[in-house]
Amino acid sequence: MRFFDRILPLVFVGTALVIWEAAARSGLWSPLLFPSLEKIFRELGLFFTKTEMLLEIQVSLERALGGFALAAAVGILLGIVMGRSRFVAALLDPLFSGTYAVPKLALFPIFIFVFGIGSLSKVALVFLECLYPIVIMTCAGAREVNRALLWSAQNMGASRTAILRRVVIPATTPFIFAGFRVAVPVAMIVVVITEMVASADGLGYQVIYAMSSLRTDRMLAVVIVIAALGYALDKAVVLLRDRLIYWEKLDTYYV
Amino acid sequence: MKAFLSIVLFLFTVSAIAQTAPLIRLGRGFAAEEQLWLMSARPDLTPNQGKRYQLKQILFQANPERFQAYLAGELDAGTAPGMAIIPARAQGMDIKIVASVCLEAAGGQYFTTVYMVKDDGPIKSIKDLKGGTIGVVGIRTATDLWARAGLINAGLVPDKDTKVVPMAFPVIGDAVRTGKVSAGTFVEPFYSAEMAKGGLRKLFTATEAVGYDHELLDIFFSEKFLKANPDAVRAFLADYVAVTKYYLANMEQAKTDLHKAGFVRTPLPAYLKTSDWKRDPNARVDVESLKKLSAFMLDKLQWLEKPVNVDSMVDQSYLPR
Repeated sequence: MRFFDRILPLVFVGTALVIWEAAARSGLWSPLLFPSLEKIFRELGLFFTKTEMLLEIQVSLERALGGFALAAAVGILLGIVMGRSRFVAALLDPLFSGTYAVPKLALFPIFIFVFGIGSLSKVALVFLECLYPIVIMTCAGAREVNRALLWSAQNMGASRTAILRRVVIPATTPFIFAGFRVAVPVAMIVVVITEMVASADGLGYQVIYAMSSLRTDRMLAVVIVIAALGYALDKAVVLLRDRLIYWEKLDTYYV
Repeated sequence: MKAFLSIVLFLFTVSAIAQTAPLIRLGRGFAAEEQLWLMSARPDLTPNQGKRYQLKQILFQANPERFQAYLAGELDAGTAPGMAIIPARAQGMDIKIVASVCLEAAGGQYFTTVYMVKDDGPIKSIKDLKGGTIGVVGIRTATDLWARAGLINAGLVPDKDTKVVPMAFPVIGDAVRTGKVSAGTFVEPFYSAEMAKGGLRKLFTATEAVGYDHELLDIFFSEKFLKANPDAVRAFLADYVAVTKYYLANMEQAKTDLHKAGFVRTPLPAYLKTSDWKRDPNARVDVESLKKLSAFMLDKLQWLEKPVNVDSMVDQSYLPR
């Protein structure tokens, strides 16, 4: 069964690649628009031989992780406070609910004027986009803490700080990581889009540069790099979660 | 009864002709293409339209999207800067320039794209842009090429000495004023609007950057469409040249008609005041300027991996003699 589980995603990916190659070779579409896998992977190989391209990865990762780290720090704090304080929840809930659906990317021109055209405006937008899922998931987790655990801690004479540290935060951690898993790909998406809109470096700039040069093969090679980075970051979050909250894994039950 | 039957027969014939006339699906832009827009705003100026060809103009915000639609077979023709068609041709795209729309030309009577800086800022010459940033409309667009040409001619290395970043036209004015970028690209009507606000000063123009008058926008067709529908293309270009001449002779009326038809959103008084790009009344393409631009893109910018045969890229045989 475990072997089948491992092989299944590879079968899916392999099938998708075969379909792509068949479509590219069918002659139905221009190779400029629909390049073959051979061309895409040749560009991918060239990408990794250039030092400046590795620097583009570094630039995008720094922006994405910088914004994400800020959102994590502020989001966990706000989420826990909102989850455990009726007053703060009443104050901030309408703000978060009312603005959650707003496409923050539309605010990017304003961010450019406030923070400049460099990295700061991009980090600030990543922070804002990542903040919402982290706050909302953390808040839900903090509210869901088992009352029996809280009462037990209180009965044993634990202080508020001790309850927070020993009961609330551990119980909320699975929710925090759920928020992280939503926020990490959001960070990558926002960084790439903002670099496509206004930037002279980063992976998003490379996407728009290749697109403007009618090099779809090169553009797709950069897209594969972005996808791989997103996958690696998600796996890193999952790995960290499994290490920190190992007990969650024990409860998993598949029907 | 006889009269009624004659009318029905006439309408049926007209409808049948219109249906058999080849449809030209043309991707257009949002600036400097007045005479082309006029063909749809004032079809009465195009005697062949509806009879020998049908025209459907589709708006695109940028060249890459227009080329993608063209590659996907959703367009038969379009407008694009000659300097965007050169790399497209280098990639092996089936594309031919058949007529000129407008040129970047020096001289007070014509508009040429302007790069401006803060009026009270420290930048007095292009050399002062070292360490700064230039705002252009898109990467590897005409505005990008002029910015890089200006920097190279001043002895600066684009991207290393001066960053070139893409921005939307409407925000460039404030970006320069607030110091977010050191210089920015301005075309009409944004140029006139920003000059009216004040606080900005010209640093260089597109023609000064490359050093000669050159093609800005051209009309392209696919070779496949040209071969399949030569008569329709000739009829279309005959109307296009006639409308260009009308536009140049009756600019105020033409601009008013375009405004009324919704092709231009700038307030009419401001639009009427803006100066216009140079347009050849016969829509002839300045092939020599395209050759020079192609050589510049190959040698100085490394935007081309191999030389492009510009002569084979342009076919003016469909224009009226």
